[in-house]
Amino acid sequence: MALLRTEDVTKTFGALTAVNRVTLAVEEGTLHSIIGPNGAGKTTLFNLLTGQAPPTSGRILFDGRDITGTPPQRIAHLGIARSFQRTNVFPALSVLDNVWVAVFARSRRRGLGWRPADRYPDLTERALAALGEVGLGDNARRAARELSHGEQRQLELAIALAAAPRLLLLDEPAAGLSPDETRKMVALVRGLKGRYTIVLIEHKMDIIMTISDRVSVMHFGSLIAEGTPAEIQRHAEVRRAYLGGIVAP
Amino acid sequence: MSRAWIAILAAVVLLPMLVRHAIATEIWIFAIFGLGLNLLLGYTGLLSFGQATFFGSAAYVGGYLLKHGGVNVLLVLALGIVVGAVSAAAVGYLCVQRSGLYFIMLTFALNQMFYFTAYQWTSVTGGEDGMPGIPRPAFLGLRLSEPLAYYVFVAACFVIALGIMKRVVESPLGKILQAIRENEVRAQAIGYDARRFKLLAFVIGGAFSGLAGVLYAMLFGIVPLEAIGFVFSGNVVFGTLIGGSGSLYGPVIGAFVFIWLSESVSVIWQRWPLLLGVAFVIVVLFFRGGLVEAWDRLATWWSVRRLRGVAET
Repeated sequence: MALLRTEDVTKTFGALTAVNRVTLAVEEGTLHSIIGPNGAGKTTLFNLLTGQAPPTSGRILFDGRDITGTPPQRIAHLGIARSFQRTNVFPALSVLDNVWVAVFARSRRRGLGWRPADRYPDLTERALAALGEVGLGDNARRAARELSHGEQRQLELAIALAAAPRLLLLDEPAAGLSPDETRKMVALVRGLKGRYTIVLIEHKMDIIMTISDRVSVMHFGSLIAEGTPAEIQRHAEVRRAYLGGIVAP
Repeated sequence: MSRAWIAILAAVVLLPMLVRHAIATEIWIFAIFGLGLNLLLGYTGLLSFGQATFFGSAAYVGGYLLKHGGVNVLLVLALGIVVGAVSAAAVGYLCVQRSGLYFIMLTFALNQMFYFTAYQWTSVTGGEDGMPGIPRPAFLGLRLSEPLAYYVFVAACFVIALGIMKRVVESPLGKILQAIRENEVRAQAIGYDARRFKLLAFVIGGAFSGLAGVLYAMLFGIVPLEAIGFVFSGNVVFGTLIGGSGSLYGPVIGAFVFIWLSESVSVIWQRWPLLLGVAFVIVVLFFRGGLVEAWDRLATWWSVRRLRGVAET
């Protein structure tokens, strides 16, 4: 069964249709990539899925439940977590606290709590585990703003993982990374595969083709193709969208 | 016990020997007021220019009860805290709907509304003349009408307030508020309703302001109209920024500097606010973290110098 389904989701900003009647189904346990040139509407689609903006029309279903227009703070509690394309961490907080607040958000059944924050050993352990997973275990005490760009990208991912999501939306996790860092990030995402249902936005075709189960292609707000990586690679329209009208031999 | 607490307790003991009791008392009252503001300003990143709304409202209600009811002091304090918290809930609810400059202007505008209400409602507040004749009834055998006894009472209130605020900022709530300050969008994305938490910060801050307001009314025996005016709101912001909004103790240090300058230097030199202005400019330009940061830097510089000295010999 599809964990996430969109039905004719559309978002317009004035005369611009950023997302145009996108119908998409993400199967549980798969890694589903969304590719497309800059400005194709991929990040806008993520914003609709996570409630940052309501769609102009259409429906979004998560686990069979209509979540269209649900605000972000509620989306998080349903088990959808996202990482952002532009690093979006808490700069002055320690690396551990960055992740800790995300863990705490999802474990808040017992209310706010009066104990000092460092006396929740189970939560701290989970936060450290998320940091360890992305390879930041040794940097827990540093302020997030002191991290390198690559490390901040890792932290970005750790915050999303800390929410123990059922659905993980990753918006270009390798944005701005060096080739070496990119390889590490790809290995990391590959390691998450199977444990989470993942929707991945990415630019770099080589990454997409090696780790995706399904690939959807967006162009000018619309989905123009969907299939396995091999199918997409052969798809003529996709080649045109990516190669700017030059028809490959 | 940490060094900070030892320093605070030492200050509580020494202060009445160094300055007049009224000034010493006012410092701790202003410190409570600053603690409440700094939960908003320092921890949540919300510049409220309307804290006098809660301070003044509580001062009027507390003053009125003491004048007319002969009520128990502790009950009046509790009521003042409630009035501060409730008025902050009402004002805060409106203000957190907006952010940035609009937020600041809303806190200011609503403060003005409360001010003019107090100004017009002369039958209760005394308008421009203030609400005079507020007594300090005895409490548990402590004759609060004696300046030193009242100082002890206020200092105890301050120590309790500081302990509570320390607990608040070290609790998960403190972390959440800082996360909202650092990045509201991400805080929402990980599952926090930013508006609700900002409102909660308002309510807690308002409760502290309310406590300070009632203690202030009892200290001077009068609620002047200024107690609910924007100058008071500005003073607590200045004091907190000078002390340092980045730390729990910043507003306490700010209260020292601000009240000491305004009450001691003003006797010698009428233009004392000029000195305050200079201090403020220096802080904003060079020590964004206030005196707390200045002290930290000095300590670092000193220890580096000493280490060098050791290395050279």
